[in-house]
Amino acid sequence: MSARDRILAAIRAARPAPLPPAEAIAAEAAALLDAPESVRPRPVEAVLAAEFVRKASALGTSFDHLPDRAAIPLAVKRYLDTHGLPPALALQPAPALAALDWTDIDTHDAVAPDQTAALGLALWGIAETGSLVIHSGADAPILLSFLPLHHIVVLEERSLLPHLEDYAARMAGQPQPRNAILITGPSGTTDIEGSYVRGAHGPGFLHILMIGG
Amino acid sequence: MNAPQQGFKERADAELKNAVLKIAIDRTTGNAERKRAVAVAAFPEFQAARARGRAIKDHVIAHLDHYLEMFERNATAAGATVHWASDDAEARAIITRICLEADAKLVTRAKSMLGEEIGLPHALADAGIERVETDLAEHIIQLAGERPSHIVWPAMHRTREQVAILFKEAHHPPPAADDPATMVQSARRELRAKFLGADVGISGANFLVADTGATCTVTNEGNAELTTTPPRIHIVTAGIEKLVPSTAHAFALLRLLVRSATGGEMTQYTTFHCGPKRPGDADGPEEMHIVLVDNGRTRMLADEFRPMLRCIRCGACMNHCVVYRQIGGHAYGGTYPGPMGAVLTPVLDGLAQSRDLPHACTMNGRCAEVCPVEIPLPTLLRAWRTRSWRERLEPRSVRAALGLWAMAARRPWLYRLGSRIGVRALRLFGRRGWIGSLPLVGGWTAYRDLPRPSGRTFMEQYRAGQAGRAGQTGREARK
Repeated sequence: MSARDRILAAIRAARPAPLPPAEAIAAEAAALLDAPESVRPRPVEAVLAAEFVRKASALGTSFDHLPDRAAIPLAVKRYLDTHGLPPALALQPAPALAALDWTDIDTHDAVAPDQTAALGLALWGIAETGSLVIHSGADAPILLSFLPLHHIVVLEERSLLPHLEDYAARMAGQPQPRNAILITGPSGTTDIEGSYVRGAHGPGFLHILMIGG
Repeated sequence: MNAPQQGFKERADAELKNAVLKIAIDRTTGNAERKRAVAVAAFPEFQAARARGRAIKDHVIAHLDHYLEMFERNATAAGATVHWASDDAEARAIITRICLEADAKLVTRAKSMLGEEIGLPHALADAGIERVETDLAEHIIQLAGERPSHIVWPAMHRTREQVAILFKEAHHPPPAADDPATMVQSARRELRAKFLGADVGISGANFLVADTGATCTVTNEGNAELTTTPPRIHIVTAGIEKLVPSTAHAFALLRLLVRSATGGEMTQYTTFHCGPKRPGDADGPEEMHIVLVDNGRTRMLADEFRPMLRCIRCGACMNHCVVYRQIGGHAYGGTYPGPMGAVLTPVLDGLAQSRDLPHACTMNGRCAEVCPVEIPLPTLLRAWRTRSWRERLEPRSVRAALGLWAMAARRPWLYRLGSRIGVRALRLFGRRGWIGSLPLVGGWTAYRDLPRPSGRTFMEQYRAGQAGRAGQTGREARK
C-alpha cells in the first residue's frame, strides 16, 4: 500500500458518512464565500485610487502620479536623482516599457545580483491592502522584483481592484502563471528583537508610478 | 525525532532563571500582543471573519480526501510532481532522494515549521548537502546551532547583542555595528550569493489551493521568492491540513493569519507557486516537487484533537500565553511551543515523552480567546491530561494524591472532616493573611503565596448563615 493510499484510506475511515457528491461540496465551499462584505474591512476612502494610496503609503511605499506612460522615463530619472542613484535601470523586458524614450537612462534587460534599481509593470493594484499584483511570464522575470534595492512599478489607475476577492475572481478558471505575487510594501523584517528594518532580502524601497485617472 | 533530551521541568527551571531570555521574550511577544490588538480593533468584522475562517477549515477537514485529490490533479496538470509521505521518515527520504538525484551541493530553504517537524535540517546534513536558511531568524539560529523557539519569530530568544556576536564570526566582512539595521544589511549581503548559487530551493506552504494546484507562501522578507526562483528544483513540504478550496478561501484565512501573527494586514509577499517554469518564462525552476505530509494528522482526524487541524500557525496563542512568556519556546522541547505546541507535541512525539506539556497550562483561556480559527486549546489540553491519567502515565505521587482525594470526595462526611481539619491547620503556616511557604508544595509556594484560610470551611459558614436566617425569618413571621 502506497503512502497515498494509506493517507486517503485513513481519512475515509475517520468519516462517519460517505463523501457527498462533488457538486454538493462545491456548493458548500461557494457558500463559505457569501456576503464577503461581512468578513472583510471596509474602505475609508470612497475613491478607489485614494484608498489604494492610503493603504500603500502607510506601509512606506512612495508615489508619483503621471498623466500617461510617456512620462515614465522622466519620472524614473527624477526618482533616481532624488535618491542620489546613478542613471542605470534594469528594465522589465515588456514591449510597453521598451517602446519608451530612455535616452537619459542606461537601461538593460538583465537584473544584477546587486542591482540598484529596476522598473516593472504591475497587472493590478488591490485597494484593500495596498498590494501590487505581478505574474511571472516570458517578459516578466520574478527576480526583477526581488534583487534590486529600489523597485519602481508602473500601475495603471484603471487596473485597481477594491478587494482581494476581486483579484481571485479575475483569475478563477484562467490559466495560472508559475508565480502570482501580491507585493505589499517594501521588504522588511522584525526578526531581531521585533524591531522593524526595511530591505531584508527584497527591495528596501518601493515606488509606484500611477498612470492616468 | 523531536523528543526532548531532559525533562520539561528541568528545562523550564533553567529558563526561568535566564533573565536575558525574559527580556528577549518580552520585547517580541509584548510587541506582537499590542499590534494584534490594534489590528483587530481596526477590523470590526474580525469576529465574523473568524467564524468564517473556522467554517472554511472545518469544511476542508470534513472533505480532506476530496480536496487532496483535487489538489494533486491540478498541481500535476500544472507540471508539478506530487509526493505523499505517511510520516517524517518517509518525507525525509523523498526530499533527500530528490536532492541526491539532482546532485545538489547547495540547498536554500525558506522557513517552514513542517520542515522542522520532519527533521529536514538533519536529514540534509546527513546526506552531505549544504543547507542555507534564508529567513533572517532561521539564519540566526542556524549559526547558533539551535532550534526555533517561536513559530513566527524563531530567533526571538536572542537579543541583538547575541545576534551581533554570531554575525561577526560568520559574515565576511563582519557587520560594522550591532544595531538591527546594520545586521540585516550584513545578512542581505552574505546570503545573496547563496540564493543565486543554490541547486535546490525548499519552501513550506501556508496554503495549498485545491482548484489551481498552487502552493502559497507568505513572507515579509522576500526570501521565499529568492529561494524558489533561481534554483533548478523547487521542493515544497506541506502538511495535508493546509488545503483550501480556492484562492478566495486562502484570502479569507490570510486576513486572519496576518493580523493574528504580526498585527499587520497583509504580508509583504503573498506568493502563489503553481508548477515549474512555463516554456518561454524568463526565470523559475525546471522542476517543482510537492511533498504532502501526514505525520499524525490523519490520526487527529479520527479523535478529539481534530479541531487542532484548523491551526494556521499564527503564533497568537503563544504570544498571549503566561507560561510561554515565562519559559520561552525551547523549554517545551518539541518543534511547536506554547499552547498549540502542547497539543501537537504529544501527537508527534508520543504522550509518554511529553505528558508534562499539557500540564504546563494555567487554563486561563487566553489562547482560545485569541485563536483566529477558534480552536478550544484548553479543552484539548485537558483531553491530553485525561488521556495521560487513563493510560497510567501520571507519576505515582500524582496518582496517589488524586486517589486519596477521590476517596474522600466520594464520602462527604470524610471530605468535610478533612476540610475542617485542613483549614484550621493551614492557619498555622501563615501570618497576616498570606501563607508564604508550605511543606510538600515548595515548588508551588516558591513563586506564589496562598491566602490564609478563614478557619472555617464554606459548609460551616453556610450552615451558620442558614441558621441565622431561619431565626430571622421566624422572628419576622411572629410580628
